[in-house]
Amino acid sequence: MTELGLRLAVSFTQIAAVTCIVIVTVLLLTLAERKVLGWMQDRMGPMEVGPYGILQPFADAIKLFFKEDIVPAGANKFLFTMAPILALIPALIGFAVIPWGPNQSLEIGSFSIKPFIISDINIGILYILAFASIGAYGIILGGWSSNSKYSLLGGLRSAAQVISYELNVGLSIVGVLIMAGSLSLVQITDAQSGWFWNWYVFAFPAPQIFALVVYVISAVAETNRVPFDLPEAESELVAGFFTEYSGLRFAFFYLAEYANMVLVSCVAAAMFLGGWNAPYPGTLIGYLGLPAFAWVENTMWFAVKTYSFLFLFFWLRATLPRLRYDQLMRFGWKVMLPIALANIVVTALAVFFHQQMK
Amino acid sequence: MTPPATTRRTDLLEWFKTITFYEILVGMKSTLSHLLHYKPVTLQYPHEKRTLPDNYRGMLALLRYDDGTEKCVGCDLCEAACPSRVIRVVSAEVPGEPTKRYSKEYYMDMTRCLFCGMCVDACPVDALGMTREFEWAVYDKRQLHLNKEQLLAIGDRSYPIREKRLELQHPNTAFFNVAFKHIPQKPE
Repeated sequence: MTELGLRLAVSFTQIAAVTCIVIVTVLLLTLAERKVLGWMQDRMGPMEVGPYGILQPFADAIKLFFKEDIVPAGANKFLFTMAPILALIPALIGFAVIPWGPNQSLEIGSFSIKPFIISDINIGILYILAFASIGAYGIILGGWSSNSKYSLLGGLRSAAQVISYELNVGLSIVGVLIMAGSLSLVQITDAQSGWFWNWYVFAFPAPQIFALVVYVISAVAETNRVPFDLPEAESELVAGFFTEYSGLRFAFFYLAEYANMVLVSCVAAAMFLGGWNAPYPGTLIGYLGLPAFAWVENTMWFAVKTYSFLFLFFWLRATLPRLRYDQLMRFGWKVMLPIALANIVVTALAVFFHQQMK
Repeated sequence: MTPPATTRRTDLLEWFKTITFYEILVGMKSTLSHLLHYKPVTLQYPHEKRTLPDNYRGMLALLRYDDGTEKCVGCDLCEAACPSRVIRVVSAEVPGEPTKRYSKEYYMDMTRCLFCGMCVDACPVDALGMTREFEWAVYDKRQLHLNKEQLLAIGDRSYPIREKRLELQHPNTAFFNVAFKHIPQKPE
């Protein structure tokens, strides 16, 4: 009983810590996105709240918190309430299997805990993909229950887009799964230790560079970001599926979108770029004689990789215009899918012959 | 029939550009260079304001002569010149001086004004002026419906140096002030 209670307490602490980190990251992202976009467009971004506008996320949060919560006439109230939660929970729940730091155990008394891994389930990446699919329900139900044509169109577009591109996300990581021989994100990350050429983007015998490109493009499409932001295209659909949402429910959708961005970036970093592994064997702090603090450097590397993917999201948003709907579908099914499938075949053959050679 | 070698090479180049997202990379390089050489063109408006050009056409105002009398002679030409019917003038004789007129009432509906400056051009006595005021956002639209006193007040605060009232005025001006014999008269 005591051990179960202690384990529960540890798990809840980890969950709370990870949720806090994700929400702080989302707050940071809302500011960073507006700043980076502003800088790329020779603007300044938000400048009013606090020095250089750094308190803008808090101002936004307070504003959204105190806004009137409007439910449109004729809306399905139950689903209208459920949809933001259905969008947010799958986005946050995926973080449970992300390895944030080295796979080391901390011995406390009789049992050991892994401080940087909430749970190491052996179907880690499948679990993330499954919950990412459930996120589409939140979007389409939000669009349908609003009793608005714009919302409905946005929801339908989003459903079609998420389903098309989820396939590519799933297929693009199969190459990595073949090479790692595991679905657990912890084991996939552990297999990429050592020099940076052990990362699966560059790894012998089958570098997953095409898979990474397919994954990143599909991830952008799956999180409904520019240039694939058709579900919330403001020039066509007002705001897409959350047109009718206001106040805290709108904030939930917003949070879900950014949490999804963080999640796909974390997965990309863990699957393709070695996760928390430094580009060199071991850690600099370890070489300096402080191996107990090596986790600081490892988590920093994970953060650097994740944030560079997030920067790529902003960068693409500042650069590219929105795709047309038929272009989106053609690109997804006729370009991304064959590349992902070819990548699987080539990787499988390369790995097979590599093992035969040994 | 095989295409010429140069065509084939450009085709290959186009294909290579397509698969490497060359155009997108060029665009991304451009946005990144703007990020790295960050020179914002924004002015933080309420805190810093741009210098206005000399011929800036801002809020309209009615002016006075240096002795404090109104310049306006109530001729209605500004009302006629205004393309969006902003101005309404109610003209009247100056009490005791039947040859002179003045504007008894003068209204401007600034919600419609497009700041073309044609009323200023039309005015024969330069009684209208455009100030450099532009911060006229109000919570109630009716506050933009200005009367003569308000317009004179704007003129007073924007034009501290006033024009001298002339003894001998331009004949055009005089048409409205003094009846000359050689100018066609209104039929009695």
